Amino acid sequence: MGVVVKKVELSWLDRTYVWPVAKGMAITFRHFIKQLFTPTSKRYTIQYPDMKKEMPDGYRGLHELKRFEDGAIKCVACFMCQEACPARCISIEAEEFSDLNITQGFEEKRPAKFSIDMLRCIYCGMCEEACPKDAIWLRKDYEVAAYDRLSMNYGKWELMNTYAEADGKERISQDNTPSVPRRTIAL
Amino acid sequence: MDKLASLLHMTPAIFWMVAKVVIVFSAVMLLASVWTWVERRGSAMIQDRIGPNRAKLFNRWPILGLSQLLADGIKFFFKEDLVPTDANKKLFWLAPFLAFVPALIGFAVIPFGKDFVSGGITYHLSVLDPGNGMGLLYPLAIGGVAVYGVLVAAWSSNNKWSILGGMRASAAMVSYEIGMSLAVLTIFMTTGGYDPAEVISAQGGALWHVLPNWNIFHQPLGFIVFFTCMFAETNRLPFDFAEGESEIVAGFNTEYGSMKFSLLALAEYSHLMTASALVATLYFGGWQVPFMPDPPVMLSILSFLVKMLFFAWVFVWIRWTVPRFRYDQLMRLGWKAMLPMSMFNLVFHAWRMSQGH
Repeated sequence: MGVVVKKVELSWLDRTYVWPVAKGMAITFRHFIKQLFTPTSKRYTIQYPDMKKEMPDGYRGLHELKRFEDGAIKCVACFMCQEACPARCISIEAEEFSDLNITQGFEEKRPAKFSIDMLRCIYCGMCEEACPKDAIWLRKDYEVAAYDRLSMNYGKWELMNTYAEADGKERISQDNTPSVPRRTIAL
Repeated sequence: MDKLASLLHMTPAIFWMVAKVVIVFSAVMLLASVWTWVERRGSAMIQDRIGPNRAKLFNRWPILGLSQLLADGIKFFFKEDLVPTDANKKLFWLAPFLAFVPALIGFAVIPFGKDFVSGGITYHLSVLDPGNGMGLLYPLAIGGVAVYGVLVAAWSSNNKWSILGGMRASAAMVSYEIGMSLAVLTIFMTTGGYDPAEVISAQGGALWHVLPNWNIFHQPLGFIVFFTCMFAETNRLPFDFAEGESEIVAGFNTEYGSMKFSLLALAEYSHLMTASALVATLYFGGWQVPFMPDPPVMLSILSFLVKMLFFAWVFVWIRWTVPRFRYDQLMRLGWKAMLPMSMFNLVFHAWRMSQGH
């Protein structure tokens, strides 16, 4: 048995077609007036280069390599993010360095090179999930663009400074060796 | 004015004629191009968008997006002017003019202000003086010629999609012309003349002391028919059968580019201006100011402009309100609704006149 589709019975007023058009025109006119008197900042359209959308919490944008308060990189070059990355866009070279630690003179690990190919990155946030030290964050910057492919390959220092202006931190371009034991800073 | 005329080696009469032609047609063309802006910004506001506002004059003043017009004009001028290899070249070149010229010259008989007397000479504010024997039959005839613009543009491009669009549009325009003509005929009948000056002067005064004595209050049905038919005549939504992005690429202007395309687009807006001027003249008293038996000349011009621009805006407003018709729906509406309605309108008013109203 077929399904009986009920046809909508239009009233005589609706069948004139003139009245529904008038109603429709009232609606569009209401929208027109509303939009005309809405200030630009409150309109739905975000006029991009002039206005920017505030991204919601949990948005996965451009990465930042976090640093300690004294400017030392938090990353310990454990390669967890590189392993977790489904796009294989992270490449790390580790190095050893001496640091004043609880056990003084202990050899520590840190990345000598840390690069993310932003052309390959899919912004899935797996590196952030995998990181045991909370050293890599995906934050709210979404304006990742460049004029050539090479400059889309972000190195260690670029990644450490991606949000320097936004956070009011100073840009750093070399590893520093802290004079205070790391443990006290972390606490 | 006489001094200026003698400086230009013209008689004052010829000078006045030339001035009228230049002012009227350049004003209509200017309004038509400004109306592309109104269309874009207006539709944006209706749809809660913003519309073009990035183009800046001298990289400084966006003037509410109006400088987009200049940018578009410059762009159209510098684009490559392509003619398809298999197109009929002569007709392909002729078509934009065939579309543009009738759209513009339909305006010629429409009075845009009250006559005035200066130095013993009566000056008529319409390009063709009243009593020229053509009257309002002229814009109707010119409206019939406008079909050629669309059809020739479509046919000469040698493109299946174009010809489909052109065929549909010309069929729609021809079938709506009948209903429109009958609606106008009713006005000629009740006025007792077809000269626009007579039509307008018959609409002076007040009706029942509360309404202006406009034809719309006498013939609302005629107005609805005429206005609807005007949409079909100007090929605008909801009856824009010359075009149709989803079904026939771009329609009759698929193969057109550069200034030829721009001219076709401008023709549509000029046609819109002429159509709204016709609506204002026929049904809304032309330059008559409500409850003012003898308005000053400038006020009468202003009144006409306000009415015309209001209807031009209604054309835009309706376009962004009502969805498109299907082709068979269009034909059914034209032949089975508009034609009987305008016939009824004609017979009803003939009967009323026979009863002595």
